Amino acid sequence: MPAHTVIETVAAIVGPEKAVPVDYAATGCHVRVEAQPEQMPALAQAMLAQKFFLESLTALDLMESFEVVYHFASYFELCRTVVHVPLPVGVEVPTISAIYPGADWFEREVFEMFGIIFSGHPNLKNLILPDDADFHPLLKDFVASS
Amino acid sequence: MMLEKGLEERTFYLNLGPQHPSTHGVLRIVLEMDGEFIVTADPVIGYGHRAHEKMAELRTYQQYLPNMGRVDYLHALAYNQCYCMAVEKLAGITVPERAEFIRVITSELNRISSHLLWFGAYLLDLGAFTPFLYCFDDREQILDLLDRLTGSRLTYCFYRFGGVPVDIDDDFIAGCRAFSQRLRSRWDDYDNLVTKNVIFIHRTRDVGILPPEMALQYGVTGPTLRGSGIPYDIRKSEPFSVYPLFDFEIPIGERGDVMDRYLVRLQEMEQSLRIIEQALDKLPNGPIMAEKVPKRLKPPEGEVYTAVETARGEFGIYLVSKGDVKPYRVKLRVPCFSNLSVLPELIKDTMVADAVAILGSIDLVIPEIDR
Repeated sequence: MPAHTVIETVAAIVGPEKAVPVDYAATGCHVRVEAQPEQMPALAQAMLAQKFFLESLTALDLMESFEVVYHFASYFELCRTVVHVPLPVGVEVPTISAIYPGADWFEREVFEMFGIIFSGHPNLKNLILPDDADFHPLLKDFVASS
Repeated sequence: MMLEKGLEERTFYLNLGPQHPSTHGVLRIVLEMDGEFIVTADPVIGYGHRAHEKMAELRTYQQYLPNMGRVDYLHALAYNQCYCMAVEKLAGITVPERAEFIRVITSELNRISSHLLWFGAYLLDLGAFTPFLYCFDDREQILDLLDRLTGSRLTYCFYRFGGVPVDIDDDFIAGCRAFSQRLRSRWDDYDNLVTKNVIFIHRTRDVGILPPEMALQYGVTGPTLRGSGIPYDIRKSEPFSVYPLFDFEIPIGERGDVMDRYLVRLQEMEQSLRIIEQALDKLPNGPIMAEKVPKRLKPPEGEVYTAVETARGEFGIYLVSKGDVKPYRVKLRVPCFSNLSVLPELIKDTMVADAVAILGSIDLVIPEIDR
C-alpha cells in the first residue's frame, strides 16, 4: 500500500491537510495523520480495510492536554502510519476495540496509565495495575518514589 | 432437564496460574470450563510490572540502557538494538559498519539461544524431558561465547549509542564457527527425537489454528504469525542494521497450527546460523564506535518509531524527545502483549491439555508483557 493511497483514503475522513507524508529516515513513519477523537472508528475501519494491523496505541501527557497516538503498519508493504489525536483533559475517545480486537488491551493500558476514557469499550478496567489502583502512573505529575 | 437449565449453570472456573509450570512466568488465566472443555479464557497480567516506561522518563538516555536487557531477558540484545537505533536516529549518530556486523552476529546468537530455550521448555510442557537436556547443552555454548564478550549470560547490556564497546577477537570468531557446525550436526537428533515423534505430532498437528485474518486483527507478529503463512519479518520487511547484506529466508507455515509455529522456529535457527556465518565471512575492518558521541546526550525535539525483529516478534520503541537529557516518553511495543491477547480466541472450545500446548506455542515471556 503506497503512502499516497493511504493518504487519499485517510484524507477523506480527516480532511486533506490532516494526512501528510513524513520523512521515514528521520521518524520511522511514512504517513502522519491528525484526527479528531470522533473520527477514530471510521479511520480504524479504513485502515483495517487496507489490511493494516494496529502496531501500538499509547498516549502522551502534554501537561495541559493529552494526545492519543496510534501506529498502524502492514504485513505486506512498508508504510507505517501514525495517527495523533489531540485530546483536551476530560474528553473521551471512542473505542476501536470492536474493529481491532487487539486494541482492547492497549486501550485498557492507556486508561489505567493516563486515566483516559475510551467510550464504548466493553471492559474498561485495569489491565496491568492492581484492580483497586486508582492512580495513573504515567501522568507527568505522578511522582514515583525512588 | 440439565440442558434446559442452560450452559451457565454447568460451567465452573479454573485458574491456570499464576504459578503454573507452563506459564513460564507469573501469568494467570481464568478459564471458564464446561467439563473438560474451555468456554472462555481471560488472561490476567501485570504480576511482573516494573514500570519500565515510567523509569525511562526519570533517567537519562544512557541510564536507561540497562533496562533494555530486562524487558525480554531471553532476547535482550534485540531490545538493546532497538533502543540504540531509536536514540541514534533521533540524535543523528551514524554507527560504523563493523559495529553493525558485531550487533547482528551477537543478536542472532541471542535469537538462537532464545529459540533453544523455548524448544526445551515447550517440550517440558508437553511432558518430554530429554530434549531439554539436548538443547540446554547447545544453548550453553552460546551463553559462554556471549559471556566472554559481553560479561553477562542473560540480561545483556552490550550495545552503546554509536556502536559496541568491545571488539570481537579471533577466539570469538572461531567459537562462533565451531558452534554453528556443532548445532548443524544436531538437527538430525532434534528431528528424530521430536519432530518425527508420533506423540508430539498428535499433540500439535491441527491444534490451536490461528487464521491470518485473526492475526491481523490482533496485531500478532513473529513466529506465531509466520506459522500462519504471512512472511512478515522486520529483518526483511523493514530492513535495519546490515541485514540487507545477507542472504537468508523467512520460514513460514501453511496451516497456522502449533506444529507450524514449532517448525518455523526450528527453521529460523538454521537461518540465523546462515546470517552469522555470512557476517563472519564479510566482517569489515574499522572502528566499532562512532566518533564524538556526546557524554551528555540531548537529542533535539522530535519523535521516532523504530522496530526490530525479536525472537517473539516485532518490538517497537516510540520515543518522544523534548530536547532534554531524559526522554519525554518511551512506549515499548512488545510482541507478546499482542500475541497473548489473541490467546482467548485460540483456546476457546479446546481441552486444558491442548490449552497448555497452545499457550506454550506462542512463546511468551511474561515480564515482557508486563514491562
